[in-house]
Amino acid sequence: MTTIALGATEIRKSYGSVRANQGISLSVGPGEIHAIVGENGAGKSTLMRVLQGIERPDSGHVTVMDRDVSFAGPAEALAEGIGMVHQEFMLAPDLSLLENLVLGDEPVKWGRGAFALIDWKAAEMQGRELAERIGIEVDWHRRAGAAPVHIQQFVEIIRLLRRGTRILILDEPTAVLAPQQVNELFDLLRRIREDGTAILFISHKIGEVTALADRVTVIRQGKLAFSAAVAETSGKEIASHIVDGANPVIDETKPGSPGEIVLDVRNLSADSVEKSHPLNSISLAVLAGEIVGLAGIAGNGQAELMEALCGLRSATGQVELAGKDMTGLDADRRREAGIGYISADRRHEGLAIEASIEENTIAGSHRTGPISNGIWVSRKAMKNVALERLKQLSVKYGTLRDPVGSLSGGNQQRVVFAREIAGSPQLLLVSQPTRGVDLNGIAAIHSILRDFRDAGGAVLLVSEELDELQLLSDRIVVMAEGRIVGALGADADRREIGRLMVMEGAGA
Amino acid sequence: MSTWLNRGVGFAVPLLIAFLVSAVVLLAIGENPLDTFSLMLTEGFGSPRRFASTLSAATPLLFTAVGTAICFRAGVFNVGVDGAFLIGGLAAVVAGFSLPAGLGWALVPICLTIAAVFGAAWLFIPGWLLAKLQVDEVVSTLMLNFIALAITGYLVNGPFLSRQSGNNVTPPVHEAAELSRLMPPATLHSGFLMALVVLVAYAFWTRRTPAGLEGAWVGLNRRFSRVVGVSVERTIILAMVLSGVVGGLGGAAHGLGQLHRFTDGFSAGYGFTGMAVALLAHNSPLGMLIGAVLFGALASAGTTIQLFSDIPLDLVNIIQGIVMIFAVIELGRITIRRRAKA
Repeated sequence: MTTIALGATEIRKSYGSVRANQGISLSVGPGEIHAIVGENGAGKSTLMRVLQGIERPDSGHVTVMDRDVSFAGPAEALAEGIGMVHQEFMLAPDLSLLENLVLGDEPVKWGRGAFALIDWKAAEMQGRELAERIGIEVDWHRRAGAAPVHIQQFVEIIRLLRRGTRILILDEPTAVLAPQQVNELFDLLRRIREDGTAILFISHKIGEVTALADRVTVIRQGKLAFSAAVAETSGKEIASHIVDGANPVIDETKPGSPGEIVLDVRNLSADSVEKSHPLNSISLAVLAGEIVGLAGIAGNGQAELMEALCGLRSATGQVELAGKDMTGLDADRRREAGIGYISADRRHEGLAIEASIEENTIAGSHRTGPISNGIWVSRKAMKNVALERLKQLSVKYGTLRDPVGSLSGGNQQRVVFAREIAGSPQLLLVSQPTRGVDLNGIAAIHSILRDFRDAGGAVLLVSEELDELQLLSDRIVVMAEGRIVGALGADADRREIGRLMVMEGAGA
Repeated sequence: MSTWLNRGVGFAVPLLIAFLVSAVVLLAIGENPLDTFSLMLTEGFGSPRRFASTLSAATPLLFTAVGTAICFRAGVFNVGVDGAFLIGGLAAVVAGFSLPAGLGWALVPICLTIAAVFGAAWLFIPGWLLAKLQVDEVVSTLMLNFIALAITGYLVNGPFLSRQSGNNVTPPVHEAAELSRLMPPATLHSGFLMALVVLVAYAFWTRRTPAGLEGAWVGLNRRFSRVVGVSVERTIILAMVLSGVVGGLGGAAHGLGQLHRFTDGFSAGYGFTGMAVALLAHNSPLGMLIGAVLFGALASAGTTIQLFSDIPLDLVNIIQGIVMIFAVIELGRITIRRRAKA
């Protein structure tokens, strides 16, 4: 009997001076779900790349079905039955789900090679059988791009099973799902486990790990920090290992004290980018001294709403900031009027990643005093302003001239906050503020947001982490398909929020 | 400082390889490479007069390199500085012979201003097209080069043809419109000093003005620029217009200082050599100064070297060509980065 479906022994892998994996060993048996947790940059992705044959380890070896193997490339890993479900799904959006299922390995009725005729009946039979076996229903003739996200994910899993995958690796599969869909996915995974499939489950949500996994392994700074059967440990213990023994800073929760209306949006509508929903007559208000959380599954218009509010996307409808009409103003004018924006895409929008820390910290204030008199820029004033702002948010950095990309995720995000808060805006639009930030950095960013609110600022917060939204927000507004479908208190039941999140946008 | 080292390497490696290849070529045709190279060195830098000739050849390259760098650092792929150079050159020369000579000392600044305005207007067109209609600037500026070549070619063979020479040239500019020679009889003229001023102004602009900072941000990351309130459209158009001003001034300096008239074949590919200089220098002012002088030395040494040896002029072309290959590699790298961002 097989005892190790997929194993890694003493894997070491370095990229230049970065030692991404420093002797990591782990194994998953048939019919076992093994969760791998760790902060961003801990070395999870490198390990997965080694297991999939994308990277060759510097030393150490990989075991598949009790045999030592050495992959020359990802195709060999696939042939050994190792399949990976990525965060970004790999389906062709314009093909039907059935076409996606058989793509690359079509059942053939007649002929061969370029002259083969595909047996669609057999294909559909196979699809139905597999779907039935893991207990889901799929409309196989639907266009992949139009199918709900969780169905796309299921099809991707089914496709791997059909190709003979015995070892399934899932990279943060729940990031794009609503709570109910997460439950469906977990049920599905449990059924696959019963068939004897080994599952590696990468996550950073401890609640999911304890709910689903049989075993958990914590990776920290390229090393194995902790490994135990889930039944013999606790969420708290896992968390403490993720952050190196120290207890993560615990947020204290204190509600805000809302005042006057700062942001007043009426009937805002906008076009969509691909895959996402347009904004459909959005009306909402944010008061001074409160954080309004915007909940929703990714891609339901939250990003578009934020962009429309800060003037980066053209929209129809009315936007008022503290009684002043912002409708039709460009981003620079809205910024002057007192709207700050923390972009969800830190590396491509929030920061100019190759530019210096200094320039990233002062950008936007470079045309006015004290940095500029309108004609010239004073490098000295620029430096002083940057030092001051960075100090205020206790950003850790080498020198001001280092590229901002050299900082850790948490410090990068602090630079963004340092820049956006410096002008004392009345309203802060905050999108995914803690994505890719370590646990202590998250606590720091939460307290920055609370301080801003307590000083009378208004915050509109978008986050895919429902926990974070509930922790920070004074009120929660739910978006689905480009509409606002409900408003709740911060202490609302998660299931209620989840129910609204998957609602077809039938209007509030 | 490591960045200085980097900038130095930008030229050192291509030059070294270029000289190695030419050494092989020279050996193959039975010449002593060391003798040839030392002759080139003497011809390029050996005496004040030779050095003046080198600087004179470097002058148009300085202008076109700076003109290119202004756009490249803002992520605007303007290859049309050559066109602005032609248009500005012709405008300055026409003003220089058709305005009354009695204007005296005022003639030069007037001609320069006219050239700057024409150059600016010329590149405003692709700038506006890019900013407002997303018309690819590589295509539009490249096409505008041909248009500039055709327009100036027509004018210099038609309406502005000199009756005296009748040989594809305009009449000479008034003496008052000529830029002064710095060390006669060498052709080095005050246009070189203008080029240095432009270079320093560029260095200052990039680091010490709001618009200069914005140029770099737009080049690095357009979405970021929008978020911090920078108008990407305005920055693109400004970069193009400034590039046109510098290109136009370069043409004016060449026309008023070097040739004293406009001829068919006014620009010997200065726009493209200048682009290579800007690329290899990574838009750094000091790097562009070094690069322009090196290319200038090659050009000036090449023309005289065949007087004193059996070495054909083609040797200089080989060296230049190899350095150019590296510039093209750099260009390719930028293109790939640009595509990855789009």
